[in-house]
Amino acid sequence: MSMQLKERPVPNGVILEMTGDLTYANREHFKTAVEAIRQKGCRHLILNMAGVRFVDSSGLGLLALVSQNFKLNQGKVSMLKPQSYVREIMSLANIPKLIPVYDNEQDALAGHQQAA
Amino acid sequence: MPPTPIPSHTQAEADHAIPQTVLVVDDEPVVRLSLSARLKRLGYHVIEASDGRVGLDLLRRERPDLTILDWMMPGMDGPTFCEQVRQDPELQSSQIILMTGHDQPDQIAEGLARGADDFLSKSASKQEITARVQAGMRTAKLLRTLEQARDEIQRKQEALERELQSAAEYVESLLPLQGHVLPGVRVVHAYRPSLALGGDLFNVVPWGDRLMGLYLLDASGHGVSPALRSASLSTFLRGDSLLHQVGSNDPGVILTEANKRFPLTEDGNYFTIIFARLDLDSHRLSYATAGHGGAFIHRQSGTITRLTQPGLPLGFDITNIYSAAETIIEPGDRLFFLSDGLYEAPSPTGERWGQDRLEEAVHRLGQAPLEDVIPAVIAEAIRWQEQDLFPDDVAVMGLEVDV
Repeated sequence: MSMQLKERPVPNGVILEMTGDLTYANREHFKTAVEAIRQKGCRHLILNMAGVRFVDSSGLGLLALVSQNFKLNQGKVSMLKPQSYVREIMSLANIPKLIPVYDNEQDALAGHQQAA
Repeated sequence: MPPTPIPSHTQAEADHAIPQTVLVVDDEPVVRLSLSARLKRLGYHVIEASDGRVGLDLLRRERPDLTILDWMMPGMDGPTFCEQVRQDPELQSSQIILMTGHDQPDQIAEGLARGADDFLSKSASKQEITARVQAGMRTAKLLRTLEQARDEIQRKQEALERELQSAAEYVESLLPLQGHVLPGVRVVHAYRPSLALGGDLFNVVPWGDRLMGLYLLDASGHGVSPALRSASLSTFLRGDSLLHQVGSNDPGVILTEANKRFPLTEDGNYFTIIFARLDLDSHRLSYATAGHGGAFIHRQSGTITRLTQPGLPLGFDITNIYSAAETIIEPGDRLFFLSDGLYEAPSPTGERWGQDRLEEAVHRLGQAPLEDVIPAVIAEAIRWQEQDLFPDDVAVMGLEVDV
């Protein structure tokens, strides 16, 4: 399963619309896209996961790495609307502890964290 | 016989110290001899055949760089010769120039369609013959270079695969023996790496006769690097190493220390792991998990209890503290540790098998011997994904307590 990525600028950040699976096979595609956004000086990356059906162990590692890299530049990463199966995988790995999860764009932009 | 002297000014000698070979196949002796003489003057080594069948034998035996072939011959004609060459995997890259008395466009098209590389009219000038032979030789040389490169890659690939195979045997040698690991504790397992080398590992750590540790770890990624990282973590988790480097057999303390020592790699690779301690006297199972979902107890009563707590995988946050949870293992209970490669097996439409279906399968098998349960569960996942090979490493360790 491939992955489509679409960038959309928002005030003080970038929303990355993701569709497909975030897996080992798509890691380079995702890494390259996110790194390009970070290089442009983006401080807040919002990953819209609504179109993501599955995240494998490689995908989780990438999310942790991306979050660490943004923190190095005083930036942050948030996640928007993960599907229930993905949300379950995320919670098991305690990812919301590193990357806050939001259910709508306004909250993500405002940075008010909701219970994951 | 002394070697034929080669004029020093020829193209052939400029290209090669050894003269390139041309096979001339023609049933008319006069045409054949005159073409051969001309090619020899150009510095080529020439071999001759008077019909198609002899020509094919020579082509197979001598592997000339170029073949010049007459169209009209009794027995096997030129185009048939070309077809046979193209169907033969050994010969199919041979360069063939087809020679005809008259160069009709239709005839040229047919000859090319049936396998010739180029055409030469019998009335061609000396310059044209030279140019076409040289063009054919250039192509032949490029093809030979490609074939040599391909063979070289194949040899290296085979050597690499042998290396991987021996590394895989080493990794499998790290797995525990099946059967009784302590009096009253039996282990059965299955290990199916997706490539030759897997990133999953599991083992038992005996601490005397009544106390043991056991773990299953899953390094993210596939291939050599995760296998090496897994071997490194499993070395850290050996009994003597834990004693010296951690000084505790508490699963939470062990994972907290492992988390500091195995940070996220530059590529975002890490481990998930479950580590448990089983006390056979008190029947207490104490366990800690780091992002690992595959662990449950199948009680003798039939109930299935998952041993999962939310927890960051190792290396995600080096300040993280892992703590252990506890449950009781009764005689007849079975403990299953497995990697996500099993329950994340995708169906052809991309739907994952899932932990619920996995647990249903275990439940259905009831009290069948553990030796049968594990292969049966794997077979069920294979039916789900409709293929034998798992896209991710699969490791399952089952443990049964009889006392």
